[in-house]
Amino acid sequence: MTREIRCVASGALAASILLAVSIAAAASARAELLPAPEDVDARTLARRAEGSLRSDRTYLAARMVIESPRLTAPRKVAFESWEDAPAKRSFIRIREPAKDAGTGFLKLHPNLWMYIPRVERTVRVPPSMMLQSWMGSDFTNDDLVRESSELDDYDHAVLGIETEPPGSPGRRAYVVDYIPHEEAPVVWGKIRAWIDIENGMPLAQDFFDEDGERLRELRFGDFRELDGRHVPHRWELTPLDKQGHKTLIELLEIEFDAPMKDDVFTKRNLKRNVKRRR
Amino acid sequence: MGLEWRLAWRNVWRNPRRTGLTVAATVFAVLLVILSVALSTGMHDKMVEDSVRVHSGHLTLAAPDYLEERSLEQSLQLDAALARELEATPEVRGWAPRVTSFALVSKQSESQGALVLGVDPEREKSVTTLAERVKRGRFVSGESREIVLGELLAQNLGVEIGDEVLLFGVAYSLESAYELFRVVGTLRLPEPQLERSLAVVSLVDAAEFFVMGDRVSEIALLAANAGRTQQLRAALSATLADRGILAHTWQEVMPELDVFILLDDAAMYLTLAILVVVVAFGILNTVLMAVLERKRELGVVLALGLRPGSVLRVVYLESLMLAAVGLAIGAALAIPIALYFQHNPVEVGGDFAELGKFFGFEMLILTRLETSNLVGSSLTILGVAAIAAFYPALKASRSRPVEALRSL
Repeated sequence: MTREIRCVASGALAASILLAVSIAAAASARAELLPAPEDVDARTLARRAEGSLRSDRTYLAARMVIESPRLTAPRKVAFESWEDAPAKRSFIRIREPAKDAGTGFLKLHPNLWMYIPRVERTVRVPPSMMLQSWMGSDFTNDDLVRESSELDDYDHAVLGIETEPPGSPGRRAYVVDYIPHEEAPVVWGKIRAWIDIENGMPLAQDFFDEDGERLRELRFGDFRELDGRHVPHRWELTPLDKQGHKTLIELLEIEFDAPMKDDVFTKRNLKRNVKRRR
Repeated sequence: MGLEWRLAWRNVWRNPRRTGLTVAATVFAVLLVILSVALSTGMHDKMVEDSVRVHSGHLTLAAPDYLEERSLEQSLQLDAALARELEATPEVRGWAPRVTSFALVSKQSESQGALVLGVDPEREKSVTTLAERVKRGRFVSGESREIVLGELLAQNLGVEIGDEVLLFGVAYSLESAYELFRVVGTLRLPEPQLERSLAVVSLVDAAEFFVMGDRVSEIALLAANAGRTQQLRAALSATLADRGILAHTWQEVMPELDVFILLDDAAMYLTLAILVVVVAFGILNTVLMAVLERKRELGVVLALGLRPGSVLRVVYLESLMLAAVGLAIGAALAIPIALYFQHNPVEVGGDFAELGKFFGFEMLILTRLETSNLVGSSLTILGVAAIAAFYPALKASRSRPVEALRSL
C-alpha cells in the first residue's frame, strides 16, 4: 500500500516537474515566435494550405519508402492514386513491389474496398481494421478514407511567426493550431501546422492526441512549382510512439484537376488489373 | 496475576444469561466472518483458475513492452535452450508458444477484423482449455491451412464448416500477407468480445503467414501452484531477463478480472467490518453494565488496597475472555463447515449453471480456508474487543473508593 502511495507521489512529482519543464519549453518556444500581423486570418491560411495539395480531381503517382527496425533494407511501395474529392471517392493501384502489384483500393463513401489479385478477391475493409497499417507503412487505412477536412472540421488560431520552422530552415512560417470541432469525425486532439508566409504552402504538421501528447509529425519538402502552386514532393511521416519507424512518400507525378472517367471508381475497375496509366 | 485472571473469569459468569447472549452474538459474527472469507477466497480462486485457462495462462512470457503494443516487433526467440529451461522448471505445469497479430478475415466480400492466434495444438492443451471449447466441427489438428473461428465471428461472416476464408494482414517484414484457410470448427468463448474476434490457426501456419521465422509473440504458462505465481514470475523474469523476456502475470493481462476481485473483496470486508463493530458494541455494553453494577464492589477492593492498574487489567481480561470464548466456539463451528465445502464443492444447477458455463466457470459453491485468513480474522475480533473494553476498564479503575462505597 505504502509503495503504491509512494509511486503515486513520485508520479505526481514527476508530472509536476514535467509540467514545469514543458511550461518552460513552451515559454521559450513562444519567445521565438514573432507576433503575426493582425490582418492575418487563420482560416484563410488553412484554406490556402489545404488547397495547395488538393483539387477536385487529383491524379498522382508516388513511391513510398518505409523504414523500420524490423527491416535491413527499407520497403518500397509504388502506387498511383485517383481522387474525386466532391464525390468522396478515390482509387489506388499498387504498382510495386512485384508481390503486391495490382492490389487495388477503392473508396466509395463510406466504404473501403480492397482487391487482392493473387487470390482474385475483393474485400471490404471493416471498421475494426481502420487503424491498422496501410501496406506496412506508418499510414493507416483510416488515413486513406478519412472524410474530415482540415478546413471545415477544425477551428484555427494563429500563434505567431516562426523563423526556423521544423524541417525547413530559412523559411518563415505562420504557426497555426487546428482544434477539431466537438462532433468532427477526427482522431486528433490538435494539429499544429507551419504555413509558409511567402507562398502559403504547408511546411510541417504535428499531430497531437486529446491529452496533448505529440503522436506523429509530418514534414513537407522538395517544393516544386506546378500550376502556380509550390507543391511539396516529399512527405515524411514519423510516428513518435514507435521508435525507428518512418514513412517517406515521394511524388513522382501529380496532376491537379485531371480528367477522370466515372468507371475508374468501380469495383469492376478494381479487378481490371490495368497497366500503368502513363 | 493468578488472582486477576480468577476474578475476571468469575465476573464473566456473574450474569450467565447476559454473557451467554453476548457470546452468542460473537459466535455468530465469527462464523460469518470465517465462512464469508473462505467462500470468497474459494470462489475467486476458482474464477481465476477458470479464466486463465480460457486464454492467458497464469503467466505470459513476452517482450517487456508487449502488453502495450502487441505488435509483431515485440517477439521472442523460441530456441531449444529456452524450451529445455521451461521443461526443467518444476513450478511450470505447462507452456504453450503462440504467434499472434491482427488480420482481416473475409468470406467473399464480407470481412471482419480478427485476432489471429497461432497455437501448437498439443502444447496448447497443457495450458488452456481452448481445444475443449469447440462449438461446431473440431479444433485445429496441426495440418496446414486449417482455421477455427470464434462462433460469433463465424456467424458474422456467414461461414459454415468446410468453407474457405481469406486472411489478409501485414507480416513482420511489413509485406502484405494473404492466405486461404479452411474453416474446420468454431469456438464458444466466455468473453463475447473475444468470440467475435478470435481466429485460431496452427503455430506453423501463423509463423509462415506473418513471416516470423522461429520467433513467437508470447509463451503462455500454467503454474503448478497458482498461489505461488508471483514467486514463479520473479524467478523466470530473473533468469530470462538477458534474453529480453519478461513474465507478465494474469493480473496484467486481464486487469478487469483483478479489479473485479478487488471490488468484490472490498464490498465483503466492508460488510464484515460493520458486523464486527456491532459485536464490539455488544461487548462494550455487557462489560460496561458489569462495571456499573459492581460500583460498590470495586470501591471495596480499591479501599482494601487493590491497585487501579489491577482493576483495569481485570476488566480488560473480562472483555477479552468474552471475545475469546465467542471466538473459540465460532471457529470450532466454522472451520469444519469451511473444510467440508472445500473438499465437497456443491454444484449449482439450473439456469445459473448454464450462465456459468457460458462465462467459462463451473458454478460451484466452494470454500478455501487459509491459515493467514483465520489468524487475521481472530486477531481482528480480539483487537476490536480490546478497543471496546477500553472505556469500561478505564471507568472502573478510576472509581474513587469513598464515593463508590457511599453510593450504594
